[in-house]
Amino acid sequence: MRADDCVDCHVLVIGSGGAGVRAAIEASGYGDVVIVSKTIVGKGGCTPMAEGGYNAVLREQDSCGIHFEDTMKGGAFLNDPSLVEILVKESADRMADLIHWGAVFDFTEDNEIAQRPFGGQRFPRTCYAGDRTGHEMMTTLIDHLSSTPVVQMNEVAVIDLIKDGDAVIGAIALDEKGEMVMIKADSTILATGGGTRIFDISTNSASGTGDGFAIGYRAGAELIDMEMVQFHPTGAVYPYDARGRLVTEAVRGEGGILKNMLGERFMTKYDPERMELSTRDVVARAIATEVLNGRGTKNGGVYLDVTHLPREQIEAKLPVMLEQFLKFGVDIRNEPMEVAPTAHHVMGGLRITPRCESTLRGLFACGEVAGGVHGANRLGGNALADTQVFGKRAGEAAGKAEKRTKRIDEQQIVGEHEHLIRFLEGSVSPAAVTGDLQRAMWNGAGIFRNATDLRAALAKVMHLARSDIRAASARNLPECCTFQNMCLTATLVCKSALLRPESRGAHVRTDICHAWDAQTSPFSHTYISKSHEGIMRRGGTA
Amino acid sequence: MKKISVKVLRFDPEKERDPHLETYLIPVNDGARVLHALHAIHDGIDSTLAYRYCCGSGQCGSCAVRVDGEPVLACMEEAREGIVIEPLKLPVKKDLVVDLLPMINALPHLEPAGEPVMLSKQDIDAIKPLRSCIECLACLSVCPAMDVTKFLGPTAMRQEMRLALDPRNKANRITEAIREGLFTCTTCQACWKACPKDIEIPGKAIEKLRAIANRNGLTLPRHQEVATLIKETGRSVPKTEPTFLELVPAEVIEPYGEVKGTVGFFVGCMYNMRLPKTALDAIEVLRRNGIRVIIPKEQVCCGSPLIRTGQLSFLDTLKRRNIDSFVFRGIDTVMTMCAGCGSTLKNDYRTPFKVKDISEVLAGCGIEPPARLPVKATYHDPCHLLRGQGIRDLPRQLVCQVIDLIEMPSICCGSGGGVRSGNPEEAAALGKRRGGEIQKTGADIVISSCPFCEFHIAGYTDKPVKNIASVLLEGYTEKDRRKGAKAVSRPNE
Repeated sequence: MRADDCVDCHVLVIGSGGAGVRAAIEASGYGDVVIVSKTIVGKGGCTPMAEGGYNAVLREQDSCGIHFEDTMKGGAFLNDPSLVEILVKESADRMADLIHWGAVFDFTEDNEIAQRPFGGQRFPRTCYAGDRTGHEMMTTLIDHLSSTPVVQMNEVAVIDLIKDGDAVIGAIALDEKGEMVMIKADSTILATGGGTRIFDISTNSASGTGDGFAIGYRAGAELIDMEMVQFHPTGAVYPYDARGRLVTEAVRGEGGILKNMLGERFMTKYDPERMELSTRDVVARAIATEVLNGRGTKNGGVYLDVTHLPREQIEAKLPVMLEQFLKFGVDIRNEPMEVAPTAHHVMGGLRITPRCESTLRGLFACGEVAGGVHGANRLGGNALADTQVFGKRAGEAAGKAEKRTKRIDEQQIVGEHEHLIRFLEGSVSPAAVTGDLQRAMWNGAGIFRNATDLRAALAKVMHLARSDIRAASARNLPECCTFQNMCLTATLVCKSALLRPESRGAHVRTDICHAWDAQTSPFSHTYISKSHEGIMRRGGTA
Repeated sequence: MKKISVKVLRFDPEKERDPHLETYLIPVNDGARVLHALHAIHDGIDSTLAYRYCCGSGQCGSCAVRVDGEPVLACMEEAREGIVIEPLKLPVKKDLVVDLLPMINALPHLEPAGEPVMLSKQDIDAIKPLRSCIECLACLSVCPAMDVTKFLGPTAMRQEMRLALDPRNKANRITEAIREGLFTCTTCQACWKACPKDIEIPGKAIEKLRAIANRNGLTLPRHQEVATLIKETGRSVPKTEPTFLELVPAEVIEPYGEVKGTVGFFVGCMYNMRLPKTALDAIEVLRRNGIRVIIPKEQVCCGSPLIRTGQLSFLDTLKRRNIDSFVFRGIDTVMTMCAGCGSTLKNDYRTPFKVKDISEVLAGCGIEPPARLPVKATYHDPCHLLRGQGIRDLPRQLVCQVIDLIEMPSICCGSGGGVRSGNPEEAAALGKRRGGEIQKTGADIVISSCPFCEFHIAGYTDKPVKNIASVLLEGYTEKDRRKGAKAVSRPNE
């Protein structure tokens, strides 16, 4: 294709989950906007599968200060305080936007938005729509997006950003037939979500393959805290093929209790004060420890039990859980669920400013692909809020950015083309090696980590990344790019994990002992880009 | 790991003229879903297989396909030996990938009123049952109306009702809903049964929208005529001949032998006034099987024609009169033989008595075996019995005692939901299609269990259309004839 044969717009949004769509809506007030989705807008990403809720300070008794403290403490004080301040201050306004656009959140008898308790929070501030909160948000956002002039490009996979000198000026993508598409933009927003599909057991949708981290890194952006991967404590363990499927924290929020094989309510040993509603890192490690020590079920999990709750409460507040487990032969009203930790959320990501600017001119990032908001461990309910707060900010900042003359470097296009052609001549199907990658990451860079295993995982990943990947047809080209993005994201996770010589939040190094705790740690963010990598010391020195 | 064999409909419209079924033998884990079977084909056998999926947990609506003809979410439906996997009935882009976007983009959107509007918990509770749609479009693959007439489809009606219930939406959209095909729905309930989220679109959206249309003076004239008739006569059809209630000799009909049970009989307008002979046949069958039948003469129309068309103003009067007529006689089980009345009494009434279809009553007492008749029959599932009451096997078990049954697909005949009166061309098109299916079976007769279906189908097939009760009675008559013949012939032996 020729360089002048391309779409031109003011703002390009890559990714169609909660953050991407929110960004596109906001940006549409400033100029032409194109949103590109690897799936169908509204069906991709992890937002529609988010079950539990959305944190917002709505009540007199609550305050942004407490939400800030809860978030910082939950994040093991690795969060960027300026981003957290924005999150807690603006989340309620973004909730108001959703309600104005038609969202149907659960209400109390007093006609106020209902809230429930979630882990690590001192006030029940998690708003919800049953246990299909993310779906409710997505439905609302898509409904509203349709009333804007935003152009949707569906089932088009972005493979790389286009650079003009140091600045990002758009993206190169593949459509469903494998044809190359180019989109030029004054501002480009990465809102591609997370990437825990790089692990064998994951809650993520098929689109959670870390493409945005890889695309941003290749373009030269800096990423921070990529070692920080949240393992959600409760993923399904059966059937095997659906392992890792999210069992929402709302189950514990509604009063669900955890028991090991011996019937012991084991959280008494790990966090007697907060019990099941401790932070996710703590509960995940507790469950993993129980299973490792032989107190797990034969499917390698523990029990999560709601049978003591009134049936009506389960039916009204956890309908999706009830329906999903019934499909797999378990009636959660009568018998306990079996759960085990599952890779859930990448806290790290592209370094952003409060205006969602990345370290590259012309490139913005929001949602899970951005780092810094959640520190070393994300609180349940903060991710959905993050998508709206920073989605709006990214859309606004990108929209307000100046129009530019954009010159496409023919050499880059030729290079991309050659890269793709090689796939058509390759020999290994991506499916044949994806499992190896996922198992290497689960075993070497999972909940408990040490330098030896991390190095082994890194070596394996880098070896796999060099596989002679093959596309069976042009339609299969995106799968090949996805596999390489998964390898690159996995590399970033392993390298960053080796850079952090401490246990902090979700990152546990069993080979390192230290006297400090999260609050007194000498370390701040790890950072990694094509040109440099390292760990910052508190106070900002590298 | 076990091995299963599945068939997948493959089609590349750019390269092939027609789709073809391909068989694959694949390894799957215990409890694997259809999606995992597709992964196994893609990863291990043929990576050009195109199929859509995303969340893998029934929340995004990307992966709906038809398995053995029924639309399901591939990520939720268990993969079984021998299944046939086909795309939804939408334009195929490749293999199992269909073009969802034109339908999704056609769904109506909320237009917020200028000023923020306060919502109440009551509003939320009303909207919620219509809110969990994941736009998988499974419902479009089963809707009979969409096949033969202009109808935007079940989930568009769901969305219209969701908007109608929302005080934040500024516009009254009822004329749009009518233009989109509100009155084309036969209330066959196939969309509800296909919905992975169990959204009751006919009852919770379509009938409610028709009620809104009614309040806006937009009810179809033919439907208004029916309502007027019911209001004036208590019956949904005009009287042209002696009715069942006039013909039946007494209020209480005793069985021939020992009393095994007692039921009150809710006759319904069609059996009372158009097919009284069929109802009398049923009485004979019941008498023969030990059922005492009580028939309150003051019963009236159940109100189904009003509910389906959204005309609710005097519905409560009908309900009260019907309920009282049985309650006064101390009846604890009321029997219906009209699928429509049965579904209405079971789903739209709150009755202090049990309601059973005649097939449930007969199967419950265990019938005397009739003689077998030397004809082949096919059975038409009435929508309001199959889906409205969940009764599929009982009628077949009864029929099979008399006649050999040849199955045909369970599709709507087009007579329900006020479509026969309000939208006769659509009803005719669906009737014709039904006639075609009957023809294909090669059966000698058609059996059903709903007067609307029986009446309507009879117009589109040259085969006799009979009620189950009439066929059972023929079996008994034949049995008696043979016994009589034996008795007569014996002295000559």
